[in-house]
Amino acid sequence: MGNFFSSMFDRLWGVNKELRILILGLDGAGKTTILYRLQIGEVVTTKPTIGFNVETLTYKNLKLNVWDLGGQTSIRPYWRCYYADTAAVIFVVDSTDKDRMGTASKELHLMLQEEELQDAALLVFANKQDQPGALSASEVSKELNLVELKDRSWSIVASSAIKGEGISEGLDWLIDVIKDEQL
Amino acid sequence: MSAQTYKKKYEISPSGDLPDKMTIYQDCMNTFNESPVNAKRCRLLISRLLRLLANGDTFPQNEATALFFSISKLFQHQSDSLRQSVYLAIKELSGISEDVLMATSSIMKDVQNGSDLIKPNALRSLTYVLDESTAFSAERLLKSAVVSKNPSISSAALCTSYNLLPISDVTIKRFANETQEAIVDLKQFVLLDEASEFYPTSTFTTQYHALGLIYQLKRNDKMALLKLVNQFSSGNALKNQFAMVQLVKIVDDLIHRDTQLISNFETLLTSWLDSKYESVQLETAKLITSFATHHSHLVGNRLFSNAVSTLQTMLSTPRVTSRFAALRVLNRISMVSPEKIVVCNPELESLINDSNRNVSTYAITTLLKTGTAKNISSLISTITKFFHEVSDDFKIIIIDAVRTLSLNFPQEWKPILDFLTDVLKNSEGGFNYKNSIVEAIIEIVSFIPQAKELAMEQLCDFIEDCEFNEILVRVLHLLGKEGPHTSTPSLYVRHIYNRVVLENSIIRSAAVVALSKFALIKNNTPLAESVVGLLKRISDDEDDEVRDRATISLKFIDSAKKNPVGEELLHSKYTYDLSSLEKKLTSYMSSNSDAFKTPFDVTSIPKYTEDEVKAMELKKKQQSFNSSTEELGTKFTDEAEETGKRLDSATYHGANLDEHSKDLQSTKYIDELLSIEQFKEFGSLINSSKTFPLTETEAEFVVNGVKHLFKEHVVLQFNITNTLTDVALDNVAVVCSSEDQESSELKELFTIPVDRLLPSEESACYVAFKKPEGVVMESFLNNLTFTTRELNPDTKLPFDDDEGFQDEYEIDPLVLNAGDYIKSSFVGDFSASFDELPNENVAVYNVQESMSLQEVIDKLIVNTSCLALENTQYAQNETNQHTLKLFGKSALNGTKIALIVKIVKSKKGIALKAQGRGEDATLSSDLVNGLM
Repeated sequence: MGNFFSSMFDRLWGVNKELRILILGLDGAGKTTILYRLQIGEVVTTKPTIGFNVETLTYKNLKLNVWDLGGQTSIRPYWRCYYADTAAVIFVVDSTDKDRMGTASKELHLMLQEEELQDAALLVFANKQDQPGALSASEVSKELNLVELKDRSWSIVASSAIKGEGISEGLDWLIDVIKDEQL
Repeated sequence: MSAQTYKKKYEISPSGDLPDKMTIYQDCMNTFNESPVNAKRCRLLISRLLRLLANGDTFPQNEATALFFSISKLFQHQSDSLRQSVYLAIKELSGISEDVLMATSSIMKDVQNGSDLIKPNALRSLTYVLDESTAFSAERLLKSAVVSKNPSISSAALCTSYNLLPISDVTIKRFANETQEAIVDLKQFVLLDEASEFYPTSTFTTQYHALGLIYQLKRNDKMALLKLVNQFSSGNALKNQFAMVQLVKIVDDLIHRDTQLISNFETLLTSWLDSKYESVQLETAKLITSFATHHSHLVGNRLFSNAVSTLQTMLSTPRVTSRFAALRVLNRISMVSPEKIVVCNPELESLINDSNRNVSTYAITTLLKTGTAKNISSLISTITKFFHEVSDDFKIIIIDAVRTLSLNFPQEWKPILDFLTDVLKNSEGGFNYKNSIVEAIIEIVSFIPQAKELAMEQLCDFIEDCEFNEILVRVLHLLGKEGPHTSTPSLYVRHIYNRVVLENSIIRSAAVVALSKFALIKNNTPLAESVVGLLKRISDDEDDEVRDRATISLKFIDSAKKNPVGEELLHSKYTYDLSSLEKKLTSYMSSNSDAFKTPFDVTSIPKYTEDEVKAMELKKKQQSFNSSTEELGTKFTDEAEETGKRLDSATYHGANLDEHSKDLQSTKYIDELLSIEQFKEFGSLINSSKTFPLTETEAEFVVNGVKHLFKEHVVLQFNITNTLTDVALDNVAVVCSSEDQESSELKELFTIPVDRLLPSEESACYVAFKKPEGVVMESFLNNLTFTTRELNPDTKLPFDDDEGFQDEYEIDPLVLNAGDYIKSSFVGDFSASFDELPNENVAVYNVQESMSLQEVIDKLIVNTSCLALENTQYAQNETNQHTLKLFGKSALNGTKIALIVKIVKSKKGIALKAQGRGEDATLSSDLVNGLM
């Protein structure tokens, strides 16, 4: 009987359910660094991701299945193969790369039009805040036209994966939204 | 759903039935995309999928790609056993699915952080996902895996590197040191607990993989390979037998590149012959014996006999595979120098009754090849004892062996023919089997004149009771062709007419044609009249074809009395070159725009007389021998094979290599030549030589030459290949100057140059000369002239503003010799024909170069373009002398020419005494005096 209750309880809080989260963004934005910052709390040396990395981590009693897909032009077309059942998308932007803000914006809006991602929450990391010349979160938000997004919970957080700043704040927001909306 | 079908769908039934392909596909797609992943169920599904693929089923590309992506999602689960299945699936799907590179990062992560269990799988699957652009990113991973202490991981990394070599050699070439280290390092499994005593200890396969890779990395560096052999052949450096075999193969490659090296390796090879591993012994024996077939003077007698005795011992080992392998090597030796393996005959004889049919058959055929004039009859009686116990396929192999025996020992035809008739009459068998016997007998009829009549009588007996139409028709044709020239033609008429009375219409029509040939026998009017009588009776036959043929024959016979054309039609003395006839007819059919108003021109097709056809057939048979020994050289890479072949052909332009393709090539050259306007007025082509290489095959421009003879003209064809990658050649021509300008009888007419030769293109340039009628011998010094133009790398065309510059390139001389005026021809009884011929010429030569007897013989055969008769094209290895019998016909006027060359080898060199006789006195003396 106790077992039954605990499993009911677990289900209530979604412990047994795995949440699929995708980390997307242009190449060199810092997606893989964020993934491993989340999983092992350290900065790892990375190389361009050919394909994807996937890690399972537990965050605030929730089991997260985090997919970090490579951002190179050649790999972006395959993102859509991994959209199914996604609870949230983390979109990482290199805040210092002003030249490619347009590209990033285009990729973001294109992705969000996908049927399979209609219910996914969106968290944008304006990454690399530790670097000089980085745009602020609101500037990035403007560049990406985030205000245009309708019917979607979204947020933008300034972050530095290297220093570990902003990451947990962003994720906290994301988990809250998911718990509210989807569990 | 009944229990039965339920079971079928979800469990693998004992009979191994699988659900159908679509069910598996749907199950896979659904289950793999689930979250969380059910590892156990996924593994089951992957195993089904693999089974399906292993059975030869496949998926269309889009489905395979979808499967691949869904399988890639399984990387989220950490179970090692699931991961192993995933790797197997990726490997299988990589061939049919697109975009497998999406798994790259995940695999690399496993290589870096995965457990030792999955690391080898991960490493191996890197082969399938990496390409040129991504290979470098795996460099560090592979490098550290190569030096891993775990043998499985190291082996996997080495194999992957080996396979990636063609994809990204730049990356892999940096592994040389690590690979070398992996050979030296004897890696063992680290055994942790007590249960580990059940696990295997290391087999040191890593050494084999590492040696394989290092060979690929250093294959172009002879010194490095030599060092490698020295380092690892000493002591106990190599523990793995495959690695040792690989080392033997490296030695094989080395000695094929530099034949003189064999003496350095002699001690090593001898010690390998005593290796504790049979595979090493075998490979070494194979190396020694195959090398000896081409370079017999370089292999010491002791080494060779050691090799043979190693093989001999292996013949009595209990393992079938070893016996078979040893036999196979012996069989190949037997094709060229059977006398060397006569020592093995007792073992071979005991293998005749081996329980393994492959072994026994091989033993027999080998034995048959070791046959000498003395032991043929005893061999044949041995075979007869067990012959009826083997299956048809093996019988055919034995018959083939007997058949070659009859060609090699024509004087021993009696026991052979007895054997063949015995098996023909007294054994049951299918068409292929009977056909091979009949073919053997037909061969005896055409090549051994003494045996002709008896053999034909046996065939007559056979067709009295033969169930195969095809064979009957062949035999009837033969009887018609040969019967009229025998002493008792009426005998054959009776047999043939019996067929007309008793058999079906196909055979009757064949019999009619055969019969009609008897009507034209000279000086035997009564027989001719009775044949006509028979034919008249047949013209009332109920079958149209038979009636028609009989009527036509009667017509011909009637007209033949007044007009020789009819005789020609019945007794055709010529046959056309069938392949060129076919080609011309096809082009006639396809290009004919005027609806067949112009008749097909048959004169452009080469015609052969019967003797020439026989000569060609015999030559082909002799060559099929050579080509099968050619394969003997075991080279384990394509490139090594090429070097091997080149070396062979350099010493040995003789009758070897892929003759058939050469034939095709020469027909192609002739067609090209004849299609050029300027050559049309030269009349018909009399003879074309073989292709002679005039440069090294690695030269910048590879040139080979062909000599074409017309009645009053000579055309030299130079085939030029531009091997440069970025330069085109314009106006390529060959300047030929006669070695002796003053006395030259040839007048240069014109040159047809090649306008432009792009990289890696081949094209022909022609130089034409006018020559007086008759035999002219001349030596030409050749110079290639051309303008080089640099290529624009984008358009692959020369830069417009580049003028280019003139250049010259000297190539080897081309000699027009007496042999070019001769076509090989066959004669049944050489000695008699030789004695009949007039105009004897004798010449004596001394050859200083160190050549083996065989090389001299091959060179003589090529230079004279004659046919070697009575099996004299092979030198007997033990002796120092040899007599070569050559026969040919003049290409100009068809006069016969025969040549007996006695060759004696001594320490100082080789002495030749050539004795030539011919109907044409000048040709005979030219040939005899221009031999070498």
